[in-house]
Amino acid sequence: MTDFLIGLFLATLITALFTTRLYRLLLWYSLNSLTLGILAIELGSRLDDRGMILSGTITLIVKAVGIPFFLKRLSQHLGLVRQITPNIRIQYAIILIPAILVFTFYLAEPISHMVEGNANYVAVSISSLFLALLLMMEHRNIAPKIIGFLSMENALFLLGTTATGGMPMLVELGIFFDLLMAIVVINLLLRNEEVTS
Amino acid sequence: MILYLLTLTILLLIAPLLLGLIKALKMRILFKRPASIWQGYRDTAKLLHKETVLSDEASAITRIGPFLVLAPLLVALLFLPPAAEHAYYINVVDAFTLTGLLSLSTFFLMLIGLDSGSSFGGIGASREAFIAALVEPAMVLTIFSVSMMAGDLGVAKAGLNLAHHFPTHHMASFLFAGISFFILLLAENGRIPVDNPETHLELTMVHEAMILDLSGIYLAIIETAASIKFVIFASLFVSLFLPFGLQFSPVLALAIFVGKLLLVAVVVALVEVNTAKLRLFKVPNLLGVAIVFAFLSLITYYVLGA
Repeated sequence: MTDFLIGLFLATLITALFTTRLYRLLLWYSLNSLTLGILAIELGSRLDDRGMILSGTITLIVKAVGIPFFLKRLSQHLGLVRQITPNIRIQYAIILIPAILVFTFYLAEPISHMVEGNANYVAVSISSLFLALLLMMEHRNIAPKIIGFLSMENALFLLGTTATGGMPMLVELGIFFDLLMAIVVINLLLRNEEVTS
Repeated sequence: MILYLLTLTILLLIAPLLLGLIKALKMRILFKRPASIWQGYRDTAKLLHKETVLSDEASAITRIGPFLVLAPLLVALLFLPPAAEHAYYINVVDAFTLTGLLSLSTFFLMLIGLDSGSSFGGIGASREAFIAALVEPAMVLTIFSVSMMAGDLGVAKAGLNLAHHFPTHHMASFLFAGISFFILLLAENGRIPVDNPETHLELTMVHEAMILDLSGIYLAIIETAASIKFVIFASLFVSLFLPFGLQFSPVLALAIFVGKLLLVAVVVALVEVNTAKLRLFKVPNLLGVAIVFAFLSLITYYVLGA
């Protein structure tokens, strides 16, 4: 089940890389967070870790529903460009994405013995980190860059849950507050951009 | 052996029904008065009675072409994974052979398109070649990856192995292969994101453009070939990616198999209603996604083992 959810997580992230429409990108981000939330709840109930179940539920509410909804309303309100074409051409992306995955596997190999659980999950998490970075890099508009940033945070959450068997509750709550701060900053940034342009 | 022949008969008979079901369902969702789901059979029966007219430019290729389009598909039909536990099956076809047979059929279809001497046949053939060239690598990779997970390179045995030992440890790569194969199912059968089977608009048509000059029995054969191609893909999809329900008694297993085929048709209809047709030069993006997922499936299986 964990394998399946991690696969789904990576699949939604990769599909987001090929998306050329903003609302579709928000949908993929939402599905990405949805799989992450379900994964955290599943792992938490298996490890009998109430903190992880709680953070999974918060992920479901905030990241799968709240943030995409808010960003969509914001982009409607500000009239952002909805057509987002990646800068990296599709031919190169086809080669780049598998290359990233293989690269991160060898990158993660030296630390694999330090991980309690399945070492491959660490490799997948780091590769999704790089893919989220690619999502930020390949767009020129601000909105997809924001989604890239949020996906990166998702990848970090995945790394935290799968590699360590659950971070302390305090750290995860801290991350959530950081995220909220980031959304506030993004809001200000977008409004500022609207004023200057 | 009886079960094997029965499965073949069911697949052949159900083929026009699946396409009819897709069409009827789409019309119902769009609040149109739906066409009958038996329309495929009626069309074939009507075409068999019609006079056959050939283009003046047409050579012998147009006369033998339709049979050569149909023949590789019928051969491929013989080697599909079994629908029930103790059914007879032939396990000689692997990823390359299967893709090759389907490509052979496409090749003769393109020849028919070129042979008619009209410009429409030419554009149809060139577009089909464009799409087929992108579909083939992804298809080889996907089926190969699933066969590796199943532990047998033959497609028929792979389907059976998957039903016995579902690869729970390789769910991630299994999922990637499934996504890739579904995109290929849409692309290779000319369903909506790639080609619209219902229009005769010159900007968009691919499959229809090639068969524009055919009539009568030749058109009937090509239409049958198209429906058989869909049933091959649907049957491969359900045997490789939804491998359950084989262990019951043969009748129940066959019923479940048919139910799964109908389910694939329903899903395709829903996808068709909910997506817009892609511009022709955007099609490589979609097929690029398929290739990436096929690649990833193989890489996650080999390198990550997930």
